[in-house]
Amino acid sequence: MIRVAGKEYPWRAGMTVADLLREYGDPESCPVVRINDHYVSRPNFAATLVPDEAEVFLIPMIAGG
Amino acid sequence: MSGHDLKLVKTFEYQRPPIDRGYANQTLYLNLASLDIAVRPVTRQMKDLFIGGKGFDLWLLWNAVTPQTRWNDPENPICIACGPLGGTPAYPGSGKSIAATLSPLTGAVIDSNVGGYFGPYLKFSGFDALEIQGRSERDIVVYVDGIDQTVQIFTATGLPEDAYKLSELLTEHFAQGKPRNISVVSAGPGAQNTYFGCLNFSWYDPKRKRARYKQAGRGGVGTVFAHKGLKALVARWDSGISVDTNRPADRERLKKVAKLHSKEIVELDPKQNEMAIIGTTHLVTIMNDHDLLPTHNFRYGSHRQASNLGQAVYRRLFDPGYDGCWMGCTVACSHGVRDFVPLSGPYRGRKVFVDGPEYETIAGCGSNLGIFDPHTVIELNFYCDAYGLDTISVGTAIAFVMECFELGLLTPAHTGGMDVSFGNRASALEIVHQMARGEGFGRIVGQGVRRMKTIFAQEFGADPKIMADIGMESKGLEFSEYMTKESLAQQGGYGLALKGPQHDEAWLIFLDMVHNFMPTFEQKAEALHWFPMFRTWFSLCGLCKLPWNDIIPQDNQGTPEPAKVMKHVAWYAEYFSSVTGRESAPEDLIRMSEAVYNFQRVFNLRMGFGRREHDVLPYRAVGPVSELEYESRAERYDKQLGDTCKVDITGKSTAEKLALLRRFREQQYETLKDAVYHRRGWTSDGIPTLATVKRLGIDFPEVLAVLQANGVAA
Repeated sequence: MIRVAGKEYPWRAGMTVADLLREYGDPESCPVVRINDHYVSRPNFAATLVPDEAEVFLIPMIAGG
Repeated sequence: MSGHDLKLVKTFEYQRPPIDRGYANQTLYLNLASLDIAVRPVTRQMKDLFIGGKGFDLWLLWNAVTPQTRWNDPENPICIACGPLGGTPAYPGSGKSIAATLSPLTGAVIDSNVGGYFGPYLKFSGFDALEIQGRSERDIVVYVDGIDQTVQIFTATGLPEDAYKLSELLTEHFAQGKPRNISVVSAGPGAQNTYFGCLNFSWYDPKRKRARYKQAGRGGVGTVFAHKGLKALVARWDSGISVDTNRPADRERLKKVAKLHSKEIVELDPKQNEMAIIGTTHLVTIMNDHDLLPTHNFRYGSHRQASNLGQAVYRRLFDPGYDGCWMGCTVACSHGVRDFVPLSGPYRGRKVFVDGPEYETIAGCGSNLGIFDPHTVIELNFYCDAYGLDTISVGTAIAFVMECFELGLLTPAHTGGMDVSFGNRASALEIVHQMARGEGFGRIVGQGVRRMKTIFAQEFGADPKIMADIGMESKGLEFSEYMTKESLAQQGGYGLALKGPQHDEAWLIFLDMVHNFMPTFEQKAEALHWFPMFRTWFSLCGLCKLPWNDIIPQDNQGTPEPAKVMKHVAWYAEYFSSVTGRESAPEDLIRMSEAVYNFQRVFNLRMGFGRREHDVLPYRAVGPVSELEYESRAERYDKQLGDTCKVDITGKSTAEKLALLRRFREQQYETLKDAVYHRRGWTSDGIPTLATVKRLGIDFPEVLAVLQANGVAA
């Protein structure tokens, strides 16, 4: 089990960030997610595995400068 | 304790007015040559049209200078103002000062928005703004004591040179046992010996029992300060500040909206970017992942070692604890490193506390120099602050030097024997120390990219054409630290910014490139109208912009205009209305800024700038300069030539494709200019039309005269 945006969500082995966002139904709004203390950007979503028991934060990221 | 001496040469007593709806309703004028001190009224017109903060600075500057005034003329004032909302402790990000002057780098107005306690303390002491003219041959300390209602001018001898020691000493000297009542503004030796000196604004950190610092960095405001003979400004005010201190028009309404925003940040920042823990360092790897982190003088947007400079590292290095640069701010992003030991310079081997680094310093003094060692970045950060140097201009200037060195335009014969290749940490530090001493090659670097291009061409025989492409300045100001090659909107954000390429006016990269919110020229132009206007508004009011769009409401994505974060914009309108009593809707905030923004454009015009020909960019900001750059992202560029430009690239060499791409991209930027000028109500030469200045109520006779002199007739 993982937590996504504060809510429990089922985890499965081999789940990538891209998989998670697609299944979660929100693939486009977040160019960045944070998995625990680690930031992952959209270009790396497909290559980044979500570990079990992770806390995933969806970061809208429209600002910066 | 140093053997310093402060000799009182002038005391001016005044009656502190009650603050009314965020205003003291008067400004303080000082002349360092004549020692004149005067209190001047804030008029109804000033409040209606210029609001406060940067708006007041601009109005004071406009009245103080002529088109012939240069940065080092005594009449060029330094103006520092807060704003009607500044000093509110309950609303996040409400303690900003805005410093403005004619810039040594650009010749036009530069403004810098900075944290620390000085601006609010100045206002509560009775002054919405401070204007300092004149120049002294002796070192001067100005002391504004709002508690005792006196302004004092001291001549000083024996004070420390660097900003850290100086602020610490003056805090102790004037505190009367209450250091939190003191805020010091100071520059440093680097400010004296370069054109990009910064100002350090202090705030006292009671938990760590030390003065902390934020910097008004851009454009050489510290250089003007030092040139005037100013060692420091000191403000004293009772730190027991509440929402009542601004005497808001509607206290309960203010408390309600302040609580909403503050509470939301407390709830959401830990779920988003954790700025209260890691500041803006999260941006490093995010920018790198999106090919937006400048590396090697803006050649490339990513590097395999970038994570060495990322948040994971600084999360460990930052000293934990509350780091708000104004009281009660829940963003609290002003972090620092405790017990850092520099390996060079006058503090070598001694433990120091370093305020920073933030993203800009990491990118400017790290990745853009090919330096991926966080400790070197911290050391550069420390010495830039201590010497009074802008870390952004320092980074971008040294990056230019490093590329010139690699291209063979500079040799050790020009650099005093230094190898200034990318990644050379010792040389980067040595250049900074030389800047502070005003010696050697560092003295040349300290003149900024624009002047370096001339010096390298005239004295070293370097090719001016290649330097025009890779010297990252526009209007004379060094670029801040974002890659713009793939974002036309951000090219406009930098190239059309009034003061030069600084991101505080428009930061559209993510909206443009990542979210694709503005695919057409018209949409880009609309963004380059609305965003600079709203961002300007923060500096009119004494606010920080981070609470607006760095922490996003959870339901923002479903709103009609997610990029604008309209829920927060509405809160800001409520905030403004509740403090000033001037009932305002979100669109009113834009109109307030529009008047000041257009006034500043006319001001630039008056000073000999402010036309289309000045809104230019070095080609490095627009596209790949070298074949190497092209080939590093060949798929991207080939695709654009094929899909967008409809060019058959079969059989074409890289040099041919480079030239075709350049022609296309430069034309795109010119088309963007046309669209933006039209949206802003300007002529095709980038000058506000008569109808625009009339609509905005800035059609003063002097403004009309400037327009007429520049071909905009009635």
